Amino acid sequence: MTNLTTIPSAGATTAEPPAPAKETGRRVNPLGGVAHLALFLWALATVGPLIWVALASFKTNEEIFLDEPFGLPQSWAFKNFADAWSEAHIGQYFLNSVFVVLLSTAGTMLLGSMAAYVLARYRFPGNRFIYYLFVSGLAFPTFMALAPLFGIAQAMNLLDSFFGLIVIYIAYSLSFTVFFLVAFFRTLPHEIEEAATVDGAGHVRRFFQVMLPMAKSGLVSIAIFNIVGQWNQYLLPVVIMQSEDKYVLTQGIANISVSAGYQAEWGQLFAALTLSILPMIIVYAVFQRQIQAGLTSGAVK
Amino acid sequence: MATVTYDKASRIYPGSERPAVNELNLEIGDVEFLVLVGPSGCGKSTSLRMLAGLEDVDRGRILINEKDVTHLPPKSRDIAMVFQNYALYPHMTVYENMAFALKLRKTPKSEIDRAVKEAAALLQLEEYLSRKPKALSGGQRQRVAMGRAIVRQPQVFLMDEPLSNLDAKLRVQTRSQIASLQAKLGVTTVYVTHDQVEAMTMGHRVAVMLDGVLQQVDTPRALYDTPGNVFVAGFMGSPAMNIKTVPLNETGAHFGALNIPLTREQVAAAREGGDGKVTVGFRPEAADVVGESADALPIVVDLVEDLGSDANVYGHADLPGGSERFVVRTERRNMPHMGETVYIRPQTTALHVFNAGSGIRI
Repeated sequence: MTNLTTIPSAGATTAEPPAPAKETGRRVNPLGGVAHLALFLWALATVGPLIWVALASFKTNEEIFLDEPFGLPQSWAFKNFADAWSEAHIGQYFLNSVFVVLLSTAGTMLLGSMAAYVLARYRFPGNRFIYYLFVSGLAFPTFMALAPLFGIAQAMNLLDSFFGLIVIYIAYSLSFTVFFLVAFFRTLPHEIEEAATVDGAGHVRRFFQVMLPMAKSGLVSIAIFNIVGQWNQYLLPVVIMQSEDKYVLTQGIANISVSAGYQAEWGQLFAALTLSILPMIIVYAVFQRQIQAGLTSGAVK
Repeated sequence: MATVTYDKASRIYPGSERPAVNELNLEIGDVEFLVLVGPSGCGKSTSLRMLAGLEDVDRGRILINEKDVTHLPPKSRDIAMVFQNYALYPHMTVYENMAFALKLRKTPKSEIDRAVKEAAALLQLEEYLSRKPKALSGGQRQRVAMGRAIVRQPQVFLMDEPLSNLDAKLRVQTRSQIASLQAKLGVTTVYVTHDQVEAMTMGHRVAVMLDGVLQQVDTPRALYDTPGNVFVAGFMGSPAMNIKTVPLNETGAHFGALNIPLTREQVAAAREGGDGKVTVGFRPEAADVVGESADALPIVVDLVEDLGSDANVYGHADLPGGSERFVVRTERRNMPHMGETVYIRPQTTALHVFNAGSGIRI
């Protein structure tokens, strides 16, 4: 390299300029630093409000608005939490949310994985059609569906019932779940299924005992996605759940900010928000550890 | 304790004109180790999968022990299969992998335990029984796949290139292990490979396939000594046989100045549809390197492979039809150098003569 560049290129007609020296070795990408800075700022923008909410949940209205909105609370009293839990019925709504999300996520995962498996692995007329029917749900704005959904729910006696909300959550989540899992099931090796077939496993056993365990990492990812999505769902419960004792958490929190008349209890509101955020962080932390990339490693080759 | 019969079995993939397997007729005897061999895409794996029930049989029948299994699901055929990539269940331990099929058959627990332990002992897997496949080496995984087949005590073993993912040394070692295991267990085995060395060393009989058509079935020795057509002649043996299509005259085949004598019957048979030509082949070891002589073929050496025990000499000769490549095996002590001209004379007793038109042995 150095030789080439120092020798005068006698008679060389190629117009190629010598490569910039020392470019091939270890070099620091200036864009890398910018990217890290951008990521850092983004992380700050994400985490900052969360911390602020958590801090504000220990404060009184005066502290939040007048004294030191960004300072530490004067006392670490859990009064706001206690008030939110009992007076604002957040405890009840919390349990309602847990109940609904638990069942609807379970239902989504069961139905979604079964549908995705069949769509990904079996050839039959109409396979593509059904797949696109599921996927087209992704493109359909929820707002447009609200009015007809209300009508259908009313006609089917699903209004103001947990069962109704669970069914609607499942239907709402299946689009993306099927879309995601079909792609995932397609990546799993066929031979293992064939081995199970030769071993004498039928369709049902093959799915539940062989394919489903192999799809664990994909299932966990999409389960987290659904839990978070359904936990944070506000629009659908507002339409479906009307009596106050059946509110889910999001409705309950919104209720605090409007029900207090002149003066909303902001401390309580933030305490309720903190209570609603915590489970998601826990779910994420617990499940994340179980996503093991390369779960199928060792199966083939 | 089982025979396998392919009776004009064909497989035509949807959307394809040409059958992947075309009217395969094959009888596999009890306790026989039959190897299906051929280049990739020849239909050997498809044939095996048809027998396993993983692939439909579009025409013809497949019998196991004289019983028509053509339309039976895999589990009703009493077969066990070893896959090329082993296809172990990644979430189960070695023990569970081997026990899975027996569990599905509702075999009593004690019997499962006995069968798995027995197979594990046979394959030296005892200490790995509680491990998951990902914690095993390639060779161990291969043995687990074998073990999974053995515990079933099936009527027929099906093996689809089970050694192709192993490194060269382990492959040779496992090759002999599988062969002796099969002899010990006495289970009819159908073994698919693209490797003609595996086919020659393992099979009681070898079936050579090309483009979905069975070319020849015979013992390895017979395939090597009397290949039925040009394809089999070229496919079996390494380095490959020297096969040349040359002009035919009254007494033999013209290799330039060298005339290779043929019998009167051979000449007559070569004439039919041969368009005045004949295809002659001789194996690298069936030619002598001689001194300069008028009745030997002069060859310019391009490459010499020293194999330690002997040497392969690659070279070319200028024949009237153009330059042709030849390979001969020589003893190591009279190894020629590159660029040198050597004279070779094919042994007339070991010639393979084929009709130039049909490619069929004369």
